Amino acid sequence: MRPVDELILPDDVGYTENHEWARKDGSAMVAGITDYAQEELGDIVYVELPEIGQSFEKGAEFGTVESVKAVAELYMPVAGEIAGTNPELENRPDLVNEDPYGRGWLVMIRPADPGEMQSLMDKATYYNLLKGL
Amino acid sequence: MSPEPKQTPLFQRHRQLGANFSVFGGYRMPLWYRSGAKTEHLAVICRAGLFDTSHMAALRVSGPEALGLLQQCCTRDLERCFGRDKRPLMPGGTAYGAYLNESGGVIDDTLIYQLAHQDYLSVVNAGQGALVSDHLRTAAGNSRLDVTDLTDQMGKLDLQGPASVAILIKTLENPGNVLEGLSFFSFKVDPELFPGSQTRVRLGENIPLMLSRSGYTGEMGFELFVRPQDLTTAWDYLLAAGQKEELISCGLAARDSLRTGAGLPLSHQDIGDWPFIHHPWHIALPFSPDGTGFTKQFIGSRALLDPDRHFYTCAFVGYDLRKITVSETAPPQVLDSAGKSVGIVLTCVTDMAIGRDSGGRVYSVRSPGKPQGFEPRGLCCGFLRLDRPPETGELVSLNDGRRKVKAELTRDIRPDRSAGWDINRIIEEFS
Repeated sequence: MRPVDELILPDDVGYTENHEWARKDGSAMVAGITDYAQEELGDIVYVELPEIGQSFEKGAEFGTVESVKAVAELYMPVAGEIAGTNPELENRPDLVNEDPYGRGWLVMIRPADPGEMQSLMDKATYYNLLKGL
Repeated sequence: MSPEPKQTPLFQRHRQLGANFSVFGGYRMPLWYRSGAKTEHLAVICRAGLFDTSHMAALRVSGPEALGLLQQCCTRDLERCFGRDKRPLMPGGTAYGAYLNESGGVIDDTLIYQLAHQDYLSVVNAGQGALVSDHLRTAAGNSRLDVTDLTDQMGKLDLQGPASVAILIKTLENPGNVLEGLSFFSFKVDPELFPGSQTRVRLGENIPLMLSRSGYTGEMGFELFVRPQDLTTAWDYLLAAGQKEELISCGLAARDSLRTGAGLPLSHQDIGDWPFIHHPWHIALPFSPDGTGFTKQFIGSRALLDPDRHFYTCAFVGYDLRKITVSETAPPQVLDSAGKSVGIVLTCVTDMAIGRDSGGRVYSVRSPGKPQGFEPRGLCCGFLRLDRPPETGELVSLNDGRRKVKAELTRDIRPDRSAGWDINRIIEEFS
């Protein structure tokens, strides 16, 4: 495991306690799992994502990422409707390991309340949470 | 609170190699390194991987009644176990078996290495040394023998994979002599580690070894026992020498998926506190030729022959790589075609080197007859414990409460494994 100081924690995303991230993209949000989460899980071999158009509450399980070690649930960072899923992951689930905040994104969400983005942790708060683990 | 985990002498090396750690058997051990568990798993099947297995416990059982004690405690009949013709175990030979309690439940499994007449090394799982040595000493009573725990005096590396032979040819002082006649489940030891021995077995810059053709991956490979002070030198030397063969360090995650695909049990998970019978590891039991009884009595044997509270352990292989989560507190259920619960899941992992063709046949990346362009994504596989006898080929559903996975009961999981191959065949294929 890389030390927390070496983990990539971008400034332009919000973080959750379940180690998901979300980034504003116009009126929608893009979400994925953090560098910490992918490192903890190890090689990701399968990603199970919801149907486009499904709606979930904040914190609801919307899919799973499966690594060689475990099957981990994915939780909605904000309430909303799934507006898109990453089509590349079917053949390249390892993109989640390789580029968790970029090509390894999981879903695009149309938030029920655009203001809910403010409820996510900023980088400093998430960093402190990781330090405490 | 559990005590602070122990480390092996290679801990700093593992850190330098970017290991992701987990605690196993009381030791902080690498789960995988930077290359990741999938690459490590495939490396052992196609090339070579190096594992730190120094966390395993080793007991020496020696004295005039050592064989008698092992015959009383181990499920293997050491007087009828070696080779196809069931010869007695001899110095230089190795045998797999288990130690049971009176109820037939597994205390631990073991590999027994016969060092000399009435002198044996029993390697058991990490953290189990004290438990097993207590068991052996109790059973020994006043017998004339010693049980010595050598765990902290032993370093151990497993060099596994078909290219391990080529790497040893480069790194052993006298490879011709050492590898000559080193059949599957046999070993040679340097006189400096065991004075009775005749063959010099040295690695690189004069590191005395016990070299055993064994391992727990199902692939061609070797266990290297060294003194703890030589462990880091041996590790570095092998990794450097194996660069051309693309040797990489491998962690416990790859070890677990490799051993599962090879159909090998993990103690305290696939075998445990239930009668050690009706499982795929019948080689570990001393069945009489007609299969109705045993060739010897041993602790637990009576319970094994009493059919009252038996379970049936068998292997399974799935249809894609998706796993279910095995939790000890709420074990996933096995459902038959009618949806009735018939048992529990003991192990469920993904063997990333296997896949099915369009007809459903399982191939490995190294299967000679694999379909053209075959690129497996892996299949979930593992072991189930059923309440009734399994039928090979039967389809079941595994349910962990969140996910259901279809699986086929099978005799074997990953085909075309190299563990038992002739060394010369490997040399030909890899030179």
